Amino acid sequence: MTKVPSYVYEELRDYCSRMARRGYVTAHGGNASIRSGDVMWITRHASSLEDLKLSDVIQVYVDKHSGFEALASTETIVHREIYLRTPNLAVLHAHPPYSVALSLFIDELVPPDAEGNYVLKSVPVVGGKPGSEELAVNVAEALRRGQAVVVRNHGVFTAAKFTDVAYQYMCMVEHSAEIAYLSMMLEASGMKKKRPNL
Amino acid sequence: MFGWCGEILVVDLSSMEAKRVEADRELLYGYMGGRGLGVKVLHDEVSPSADPFSPENILVFAVGPLTGTRVYTSGRYAVVGKSPLTEGCFYSSSGGFFGASLKKAGLDALVVRGRAERPALLVVDDRDVEFRDAAWLWGKGTRETRKELRRELKGFSVACIGPAGENLVRYACILNDVSNAAGRGGLGAVMGSKRLKAIAVRGSREVEVADEDVLDELMDKARNRFIWNPVLSKALSYYGTSALVNVINEHGILPTKNFQQGYFSMAEEISGEALRERILVRKSSCFNCPVGCKRITRVGELEGEGPEYETIGALGSMLAIGSIEEVAEINYLCNDLGLDTISTGVTVACAVELSERGIIGEKFRWGDSERVKGLVVDVAYRRGLGDKLAEGSKRFAESIGGGEYAMHVKRLELAMYDPRGAFGQGLGYATANRGGCHLNPYMVAVEIFGVPHLMDRFSAAGKASIVAYLQNLSAAVDSMVLCKFTMFEFDDEMYARFLSAVTGVEFTQETVVTVGERIWNLERIYNLKAGIGEDRLPERLLTPMEEGVCAGRNIPLGEMLKEYYRVRGWSEDGKPRREKLESLGLEVET
Repeated sequence: MTKVPSYVYEELRDYCSRMARRGYVTAHGGNASIRSGDVMWITRHASSLEDLKLSDVIQVYVDKHSGFEALASTETIVHREIYLRTPNLAVLHAHPPYSVALSLFIDELVPPDAEGNYVLKSVPVVGGKPGSEELAVNVAEALRRGQAVVVRNHGVFTAAKFTDVAYQYMCMVEHSAEIAYLSMMLEASGMKKKRPNL
Repeated sequence: MFGWCGEILVVDLSSMEAKRVEADRELLYGYMGGRGLGVKVLHDEVSPSADPFSPENILVFAVGPLTGTRVYTSGRYAVVGKSPLTEGCFYSSSGGFFGASLKKAGLDALVVRGRAERPALLVVDDRDVEFRDAAWLWGKGTRETRKELRRELKGFSVACIGPAGENLVRYACILNDVSNAAGRGGLGAVMGSKRLKAIAVRGSREVEVADEDVLDELMDKARNRFIWNPVLSKALSYYGTSALVNVINEHGILPTKNFQQGYFSMAEEISGEALRERILVRKSSCFNCPVGCKRITRVGELEGEGPEYETIGALGSMLAIGSIEEVAEINYLCNDLGLDTISTGVTVACAVELSERGIIGEKFRWGDSERVKGLVVDVAYRRGLGDKLAEGSKRFAESIGGGEYAMHVKRLELAMYDPRGAFGQGLGYATANRGGCHLNPYMVAVEIFGVPHLMDRFSAAGKASIVAYLQNLSAAVDSMVLCKFTMFEFDDEMYARFLSAVTGVEFTQETVVTVGERIWNLERIYNLKAGIGEDRLPERLLTPMEEGVCAGRNIPLGEMLKEYYRVRGWSEDGKPRREKLESLGLEVET
């Protein structure tokens, strides 16, 4: 088999496991990749991120197709487009519940919390069917302008030069979405919102 | 009737008579169509002890309730007969447009009986049936035959045989449309024994669908699921089946030099990537297929279809030929002569190994593509050593004392996955009613691609149940009739919903799988009566490889078989129990 470097596997396993522990992915949902030059190492189609095996990391090319894409995540097309359109080196994709729930109602998540607002500023909500070219372009274009994007009714993509930073963005988006949701609930219960100090 | 046509055309070549008969509804509900319908007719009409080349044998070209509809990949047909290679019940399936044309002619099946006195051409034009003299086509390759018939019969879909079928090569195939092949099991030779050179079909009837609105909804779902699936929408769509070459090689299970190795050092040169870069002209599709896995290629002045993955393995790595151009040329030759590429490659590889070991006097060496081309022609015309090779690897090797080097199961040459690195595939090979078939079931999907779920390829755990289940589902899919590639994404529930929407008959997950199980058991019974039932693998494949990523792995076939028989409700020696058969509504003698 094409040798996947052990440090690549360890890194992917670590961050995939963290996303799973946080409840951002269900049993076989989500995916993650790391780029190195003209190749990317991406999680296998339908692999379980909470218990990633070495054989669950598939090597494919960034700038061309290969037969190994048959084994790779359905969203390989999205990861490739992100790498082709942005200088990022790591991409994470998960299905965090507050972000997905809010995406059914909004076109843009403006983080109401100070940290989220400072780092993310605004997170667009885009459309596109899983695995489609339309989704790939929508996500990659959004990530050309920001660090994160929510796909309506689906999940969140984040990208960065470091996996740890992409993970940080993922957590921030979901945290902001949770705060936004809770704020809405409080507002709906009759509480009056004060002007935030952002 | 929705979905089905309710009619079968029965043709007797001995008397040159044709009649349309009403199809029994219970037969259609119980066996669906395609493979199931053909197997049932074969079982009822042809003795398991019949000589496959005698007029007593029949060929059933059958379509299913989904054939010719908007459901993806619905242009296929199945052809069933007693195989001259395995001597058992055999179905072969092919894509293209021939199946849809049969359906448009208002037929659920075409049953061919007897033997013509002179070479014949059967023309079915809607409800008109005509027997024509085909002496002028006899001896011609499939390429020229189809070209001539296309010129004479505008708008017809043609299925024909080449010289290999005429000369009763036991693994001759039937080719239809561009180069779609009902490849395995030698049913082309049965057609040759009946002196039936070709069948041309044209029809104008639209298939009636019970619930168009529900079918619309299902097709929306199907479209999204096909896009979502990386095997269908990415790998197969972009490279065709040749996408598998590097993947399978990297997993150490690409059969090389007659299964002596599982890794071919020149795989890159015969890969899908090489095909796309060097010889691809364009991709092409069968009737109503969004995947488009077919590849039209060109080498020099020659243009043809393929090679597909199995062909690349059989004519490439198996013979140590590391050039996609050379493999494509041999593929074109096999297609024109009407030879199954898998059995051809495996049988020739057996001859090369026997030569290398000094068991036969003829001198062959690995990688000699020019010699292979000559040998392939000799096989088709049964000349010299080719006459012996035309009998298939088992008969050939045993006739000269080298039986252990024939890589077959139940006389059918093995497909291009070494089971020492995919234990479930090994169980599938050993138990498939066709013999060394990779499609009953295609466990590589589960063990390599992780579809629908990845299982440890080196483990026997859970494999018996999954193999039995997928065998049943495969038999049902072959009877609808849809392409097996739909199984990369659809499950039994999706198939049931399609069938219900099209036919108006309520199908459930359970009934779909039960129909498959009924077919599987009927095939098994027929084969047991024909003296075929030994579920084994060649000794070489029960011996661990010494090198590569699969080194030291030993497939526990005995244990797996024991569990498999239990799962199937069969006796410990693999015979269906009476209670099992009764539960499936099979009233057959055991």
